[in-house]
Amino acid sequence: MKLFKLVAAIAALSLGGSLAQDRTQTLIYGGDWSDLITMDPQVSYEFSGGLVTDNLYETLVKYEGADLSTLKPGLAESWKVDRGRDSWEITFRLRRGSKFSSGNEVTAKDVVYTFERALAIKGPGSFLFTEIAQLKPGATKAVDNYTVVVSIPKTASPGSFLSILTFNIGGIVDSETVQKNAKGNDFGKEWLTNNSAGSGPFRLVRWDRGSQVLLEANPNARIKPKLQRVILREIKEPAVLRTALESGEIDIAEGLTPEALRALAGNNRFRTLKADSLRLNYLGMNVKEGSPFANKLVRDAVRYSINQDELVNGLVQGNGTKTQTLIPKGLLGYDPRTPYTFDPARAKRLLAQAGYPNGLEFELLVSTGICGGGIPCADIAAKIQSDFAKSGLKANVKAIANAEVLRTYRAQNHQMVLVGWSPDFPDPDGNATPWANFEARSLAWRNVWNDPTAIRLTNQAALETEPAKRVALYRLLTDYVLKNGPYAVLYQPAVPLGLSVKVEGYVRNAQGQVRFENISKLP
Amino acid sequence: MLSYFFRRLFFVVFVVWGVTFATFFIANVVPIDPAIAALGDNAREEQIREFRERYGLDKPIWQQYLIYMGRLLSGDLGNSLRTQRPVVEDLKEFFPATLELSVAAFLVTLLLGVPAGILAALQQNKATDVTVRILALIGGATPVFFLAVLLQYVLARQLDLLPVQGRLDGFTFPPPRLTGLMGLDALLARDWAAFVDSLRHLVLPAFVLGLFSAAILARMTRATMLEVLSQDYIRTARAKGVPGRGVIFRHALKNASLPVLTLLGGLLGGLLSGAVLTETIFSWPGIGRYVTQSATSLDFPAVMGVTLLVGLVYALINLIVDLLYAFLDPRIRYA
Repeated sequence: MKLFKLVAAIAALSLGGSLAQDRTQTLIYGGDWSDLITMDPQVSYEFSGGLVTDNLYETLVKYEGADLSTLKPGLAESWKVDRGRDSWEITFRLRRGSKFSSGNEVTAKDVVYTFERALAIKGPGSFLFTEIAQLKPGATKAVDNYTVVVSIPKTASPGSFLSILTFNIGGIVDSETVQKNAKGNDFGKEWLTNNSAGSGPFRLVRWDRGSQVLLEANPNARIKPKLQRVILREIKEPAVLRTALESGEIDIAEGLTPEALRALAGNNRFRTLKADSLRLNYLGMNVKEGSPFANKLVRDAVRYSINQDELVNGLVQGNGTKTQTLIPKGLLGYDPRTPYTFDPARAKRLLAQAGYPNGLEFELLVSTGICGGGIPCADIAAKIQSDFAKSGLKANVKAIANAEVLRTYRAQNHQMVLVGWSPDFPDPDGNATPWANFEARSLAWRNVWNDPTAIRLTNQAALETEPAKRVALYRLLTDYVLKNGPYAVLYQPAVPLGLSVKVEGYVRNAQGQVRFENISKLP
Repeated sequence: MLSYFFRRLFFVVFVVWGVTFATFFIANVVPIDPAIAALGDNAREEQIREFRERYGLDKPIWQQYLIYMGRLLSGDLGNSLRTQRPVVEDLKEFFPATLELSVAAFLVTLLLGVPAGILAALQQNKATDVTVRILALIGGATPVFFLAVLLQYVLARQLDLLPVQGRLDGFTFPPPRLTGLMGLDALLARDWAAFVDSLRHLVLPAFVLGLFSAAILARMTRATMLEVLSQDYIRTARAKGVPGRGVIFRHALKNASLPVLTLLGGLLGGLLSGAVLTETIFSWPGIGRYVTQSATSLDFPAVMGVTLLVGLVYALINLIVDLLYAFLDPRIRYA
């Protein structure tokens, strides 16, 4: 094998070959990227897709660092929201001199093309435009080369729309290049699956499916990255991820097990990180007529029967945050208070009051897969089951395939489920509407929880443009749902990461976005 | 000989049709909804309905089968529900990696298995024989994931002799994709560094994958050699003074090769159908990993595509083995 290395070294030197790259200029980022389907920003709706397109394309507005509550200028240097007669008028002023990787300047026509493209393609994330923002074809207009006005109906939330724009779907594409590569009526969809046409700090060089994605610095970009090359290396197996990090084959390992994280923490060549996510793992209780959970006292008994501290610090090994309301940490309106404590005696009293003095038996559905924080969902269910037993709640855990759990849940055929939820866009409304508005046919509907107060508060908060008032409204809503709703939030999982100490400037926000341009590598 | 070939070929077509029939109906009795599996928890009802219509999942199963077969006859395997592109494209992308790994693993199998088997047979019940038998037992009984992780830890992480995972080092720029076989592509691009690097990446997975087959092959070779060596004609050959090497290679090995050939065909077919564990542990982008991911997301066009491909590979290998049989043993040709 020494011989192999020698031959390789000689070959590299003599041919000036590809091995002779400057290692400090290349970042190798390992993780499970197997959900990657496309590199097209208007089609991509997967976590890994967002991670890549976010570095290939710029958005009009964006979030910086880990902060997901303050919008910062992106391609737009400024923007304002005006209350029109029957619509919101949102005006964006583009900055001059931003260029796509082709060298074309980013102008208003590219923004118009991108938004119309998203509406025409109808990708999996297009409901963000069509339903949440209620954006219609023709509603985006170029006033001049550097000014764009978007009109959305009064019933849509401008705050949600702006936060949606920070997402994959808002990535502005080079309209000339895309149209040149379009086939028939496909808006360049086929071509953009494997190519990039953005103004982001990187451009896509090559995508070997199931293996790696290779990005290189975009020579025309306004934002100059510190590294020349970023490689996303697909490694599904957590044990291999760790070995690859330790042997120096990758610089960052995302999605380690809690055990690997502990082992790496003791090694001075690496540092570890528990990055936030916006996911909430929770119990959903079906409150339809005839169900024991239709009684609010029983739901309260459930919430008093969970030893959350033991769950988060013991089983989840600290790879998560203890939280109880429906807005996760990191979003506007997050409430850190956790009023429900583990109190089996109280739970027993509540059950007796509700008419179950001898306890209550029900089915708890859970996926056979892994839940947030790298823990098998069935293990979490077992922990909850034993907590429940102390207050006379007898949960019969049924572990089935995740798709089957979801099918049952969506058909309102569960009694209690243990599942997770991540918002579709980083705005409190991304959780509030599905969790509290029965009419949205999402989580509240699945649990048959139709509550007029919750619906009213949700709509009011969504449309409020004044941040302080909005926070106050969300405080009211989250508190109300916490005490009356059909949920018991368990924890907000973290994403365990290991990094070489040579990597500097790595920040992962709770949406899973990482800006590669800020990362550098020490020799 | 020609009619023999056509009879066999007809059999191949029949087997492949049987495979489509069986997999299609097995895939469809699974009670889980592929639309939910593909779209996930946040999907809206309209999206799910649209998805079912787009992929024809709302039609009765016999209609779905007829549509599928109609497309198949024109070479269209349909679209994958998960990757959302033609299954044929996916197979083109992932099969070369499996082919590369299988060929390398097959070489390991041959180079370890046959000599070990012969050696053991010649030294029957002596120390060498016992060692080979014990090693074959261990090789056949060690779980792939255990061996893989062990070798990764010792050879790659601790001793830093070989890479842990992947087909190429992250710092090596991959050669232009022509055949999809990394080593060959590197050679075609005259990129020696990438070629050497791709070989280094092939060593561990090929060894791990090949060891199990090698163990089986060694035992089989040993047994058949022993049987042949006890035959009268071997004794005759020895008696008339044919040198030891001639007896073993010309007389014994050729006669022992028939059952070994059948086994080799099966082993190669097994290797080519994609090794799920090996591919997962070594982050090898082959069809084994592809089909597991497809199966867990109920992507049955993809699963069907792989099954069909594997069925075809098996059938073709069997055809070749049959033809080789006829070539090695004239009695079969005329039977």
